[in-house]
Amino acid sequence: MTSLHNYEVSDRLPVREWVPSHIQMRQYAEATGDFNPIHIDDNYARQAGLGGVIAHGMLTMAQMAAMLSDWISIEGGIAKLNVRFEGMVRPGDTISCTGFIRARSEKTLVCDLEAFNDKNERVLSGIAHINLKP
Amino acid sequence: MIGKELIGRESESVLLKIRQEDVRRFAEAAEIPFEDRVPTTYVESLIKANIDGFELTIPSLILGEQKISYRRLLEVGDRITYKRRIKDVYGRIGKQGKITIILIETTGYDFSGELVFSSTATFIAPEKGVDDDKSA
Repeated sequence: MTSLHNYEVSDRLPVREWVPSHIQMRQYAEATGDFNPIHIDDNYARQAGLGGVIAHGMLTMAQMAAMLSDWISIEGGIAKLNVRFEGMVRPGDTISCTGFIRARSEKTLVCDLEAFNDKNERVLSGIAHINLKP
Repeated sequence: MIGKELIGRESESVLLKIRQEDVRRFAEAAEIPFEDRVPTTYVESLIKANIDGFELTIPSLILGEQKISYRRLLEVGDRITYKRRIKDVYGRIGKQGKITIILIETTGYDFSGELVFSSTATFIAPEKGVDDDKSA
């Protein structure tokens, strides 16, 4: 496994795949208290013009953060994570979270992030600052 | 109705101990690994700090952006005080007409008053809400 200290600009990050489900979205709503019906009520979401329920944005972001945390392991920590939700994520979609190194210094890696669905549509973009342990 | 008069409105401070069972429940629901580190996005599930006159669960609100910064990593057992504040409200013309943008900032401090994290959520609210659509 490559140490974070060996990563260079333009190197690719690992890929985390995630397939959200109705059950998971319900469980996430219960765990976080976010019961917005667009995430758990299909009829409501259809009437709202969304074509059915969509995953919580924060649930998608959690997958991106999990990819980063797995990759970082004990070599550092996430100091900053900024994301933009660009597309809707639906139950059954296969979402791939990844990114690459945009810049690095002795103590920090700056990563560009993106997540795509199985139609190759980008659903999330962002940036992370990773603080490296000495 | 969400308007500029809400800017600056903030919640009371909420004292919270980061409990292993709460974090584990969050991680299991999100299906993400959890050992000892608190997942990065956990802080956005801290919604007990209510802002008078503003309800985060308005159905027509869509989360557009999220920014989270840590001064240090959160750990199970940490005691933090956090609060929420309406940072900004402004209008914009989007692809589907007029929209209102609402920025909600959550900040967390440790026992000594040092900032531990800040998080800003950008919500998008259509001028014509979901409930309006249903009655139309």
